[in-house]
Amino acid sequence: MNYQSAIVFGFNEYAKQIALQIAPEYPSFSVFVMNESEQIAAKAAGFEAALFDLGEDWKLIEEKFDPNSLIIFCALDKDAENVFLTISLRSIFENLPIIALASDHESAAKMKSAGANKVMATQQITANIITEMLEKPTVTEVLHDILYEQSFLKIAQITVPENCFLVGKHLHEIDWGEEFDILVLAIVDHQLSATFSFTSKGHHHHIDPDDVLVVVGYEDSIEALSEAMGVVK
Amino acid sequence: MISRWIVGIAFFLHASPNYRYFKKFIYNLLENSNYPYKKFFDYTMMILIVISVYILVHHVKYEVKPDWLFFNNYVISVIFLIEYLLRLWVYSDNSKAIIEQYEHDLFLQRPFKILTVLHHIILTKTKFIFSPSAIIDLLAIMPFFHEMRLLRVFILFRVFKLFRYTKSLQQFVSILSSKKFEFLTLGMFAGVIITVSSVLIYVMEANNPASPINTLFEAVYWSVVTIFTVGYGDFVPVTSEGRTVAMVIIVAGIAVISFATSIVVSAFTEKLDEIKEDKLIDDVSKIDQFYLICGYTPLAAQVAHRFLKTGKQVVILESNHKKVTEAQKEGFLALTHNPASLHSYHTIRIDFETQVIAALLLEESDVLNVYTALTIREISKSVPLLSILLHHENRRKLALAGINEIVYTQELIGLMSKEVSGRPVAFEVIHALRSENSGVFIEEIVLDTLMANQFFETTRLTMFHKRLIVLGVYKQSSKSFFFNPSNSLLVEEGDVAIVVGTRSLIDEFKSLMRRKKRR
Repeated sequence: MNYQSAIVFGFNEYAKQIALQIAPEYPSFSVFVMNESEQIAAKAAGFEAALFDLGEDWKLIEEKFDPNSLIIFCALDKDAENVFLTISLRSIFENLPIIALASDHESAAKMKSAGANKVMATQQITANIITEMLEKPTVTEVLHDILYEQSFLKIAQITVPENCFLVGKHLHEIDWGEEFDILVLAIVDHQLSATFSFTSKGHHHHIDPDDVLVVVGYEDSIEALSEAMGVVK
Repeated sequence: MISRWIVGIAFFLHASPNYRYFKKFIYNLLENSNYPYKKFFDYTMMILIVISVYILVHHVKYEVKPDWLFFNNYVISVIFLIEYLLRLWVYSDNSKAIIEQYEHDLFLQRPFKILTVLHHIILTKTKFIFSPSAIIDLLAIMPFFHEMRLLRVFILFRVFKLFRYTKSLQQFVSILSSKKFEFLTLGMFAGVIITVSSVLIYVMEANNPASPINTLFEAVYWSVVTIFTVGYGDFVPVTSEGRTVAMVIIVAGIAVISFATSIVVSAFTEKLDEIKEDKLIDDVSKIDQFYLICGYTPLAAQVAHRFLKTGKQVVILESNHKKVTEAQKEGFLALTHNPASLHSYHTIRIDFETQVIAALLLEESDVLNVYTALTIREISKSVPLLSILLHHENRRKLALAGINEIVYTQELIGLMSKEVSGRPVAFEVIHALRSENSGVFIEEIVLDTLMANQFFETTRLTMFHKRLIVLGVYKQSSKSFFFNPSNSLLVEEGDVAIVVGTRSLIDEFKSLMRRKKRR
C-alpha cells in the first residue's frame, strides 16, 4: 500500500526522529501536537504543527486528508495518552493504519487492544539492539546496512502477482540463491494465515497469488526477480 | 658492627624480588580472602583439624594405631606450628621497619639505634601473639606434648581454629562482638543475680540437714542451673525461705534469657543487610565473566533479562536501595553501590580486565552516564563501554568520555518507523529475528580453521541446503560483507558467517563443520 499522507502525533525526541525520517517519504506530511511548547519545538525543526486535544472529533483529518491513503504515527509522551489517542482515532477511522509507540510490553498490549496496527515497544527494541550489539556485532552491522544505510544490499517484500511463473510452485523447488542471487527469509502465505512464516522453519509453502515474499538481495537482483515475476511498479 | 650487618640484611631482603614474592605469596595464602588459592589451603587445614579431633574422640575409648597417633601428635602439630610461625612472620615487615628507622636516624644525623627498632619489632609481634586467634593457634599446637595427658584437651582448640578458615563463623563472631557492651551488661546482671542468690540459698539451706545444698559451690551450681531456666532438679531448696529465693531467681532467670535472646536477635537483624551485601560481593567475585549494568531502569531490566536468557551473567550496580530490591526480586544480582563512584568498585573488587565483558550505562540521564563512564575509565582504559543517548546534542560528549558504543534509541525508532510504514512485513521479519521469540534465529559464527575449510561443503549437505539460510560471510581481512557467497570465496579463520535458522539446525551446522574435519 502506498500512502500519500502521514501524520505524526506529538513532538518529543521520538516523534521528532520519526518526523525527520518519514517526512521526505510522503507528499503530504503533518505534525499534530498537544501544547504550544511542542509546537515551537516542531517549528524549530522545520515542521508546521497543528494543535489538538484528546477530545477531538477528528473532522480536521477527514477534511484535510484522504483516510484511505493516510498513515498515522502516535508518539505522545505518555503511554496512557497514546492509548487514548489510538482508540479515539480507531473509533472514527476503522481502516486507518495506526503505528503507535509504547514504552513497555504492558502498554504495547493495551495499544494493540485500542486498535493500533503496529506497536513499537521502545524498551524492548532498545534492549534487543543493545544485546545484539554486544553479542552479535557483525549481525548488527549487516542488518543495519541492509535496513537503513544506502548499501546495495536490500531487504524487500514482493507480492506475488496473479500470473507469476512462481504460482503453484513450492518454495523449496526453487534455488533462490543460485538462480536469482537472492535469499527468501519469510513468506506471508495468504492461504494458510495472514502472518508471515520463516522459510527456515519449513518449505511446505505453496506459492499463491498475493503471497508476500520477504527477500534479501542486491538491488539489481531484486529488481530482476520482480520483473521476472511480472510485478507492476 | 652488628647494626650495620642488620641494616645490610634488611636492605637486601627489601630489595630482593624473590623474598618479596614469597612473603606476598604466603601472606595471600594465609590472610588474603580474595586470593583464589587460599581456599585450598583452608580446606586442607580444616581436614587436618577434623582428623585430629576425630582421633582424640576415638582415642577416649578405643585404641588408635600408633601411625595415626604419630600423625596426630607430630605431623599435624608441626604443620600447625609452621603455620603459626608463618603467620607471625607475615604479620609485619621487619626489614621495612629497620630501614625506616635507619633512614630516620640518618636524616636526623644521629647514630642508628638498633634497640629502638628491635623494641618496635617485638612490640608489633607481641600484638600478634596476644591476639585471640593467635592464642587459639598456639594452644592448638599444644598436643605436640602428647605425653602430658592433661594437655591433650588442648586439641579441642583446634576446633576453634576452624574460625580462621570459615568466613561464616568469623561473621558470627563479628556480629556478636558488635554487641560487646550489651553482653557485658547482661554478664554483670547475671553475675550479680547469681552471686546474691548463691549466697542467699547457701545461708537459707546449708544448715538444714534435709537440704541437698550443703556447700557454696552447690549453691552457685543451683543458682546457675535455675537462673538459666534449665532446672535439673538434682539440687532443690527444701526450706520455705530457700523456696522464696528460688521463686525470685526463676523470675529473674526469664529476664536474663529474654535479654540474651534479644541481644543476639538484634545483632543479627542489624547486620543482616551487611551480611547479605558481603555474600553478594563474594558471589560477584566468583563469576568469571559478566556484563556490568550501571543503573537499574526498566530498560536495564529488559537488557538483563535478555542476557540471562542467553546464559550470560549480569551484575547490576544501583545507588537507590529500593530499585536494588526490585532488581533482586526480579532475580538479578544487584548491589546497592553508586556506579559513578570509584569507592564502589574498590569495595566490590570487580576486575574490569578479566571479569567485565562490557559495562552498560543505562541511566536515564546523559549527565550521569558520562560521569559513570569517566569513573570506569579511571579504573580501566580497555573495558568496552556502551551507553544510551538521551539527547542527540550530547553524542560527542559521550564519545569524549570514552564510550565505545552509543545507542540513540530515538533515531533507531525513527528509522524503524520508515521501515514499518514502507515494508511492514520485512520489518516484522527482522524484528522477529532480533527478538528471538519466533524460534528462528540470526546468528554469527566465528569460523576457526577447521570450520572455514569445511564451510561450503557443510552448507551443501541435504539437511542444511535450503533450510539454513547463509546470509553471507564477513571477511575480516577486507572488512567487507559477502552476501550469498559462492564456492569461489576464500573463507578463512576469523571470518564470520551469518546464518538464519532454527536453534537446533544452527547448532548442528556448527558441530558438523568441526566434526567432519576430524574424521
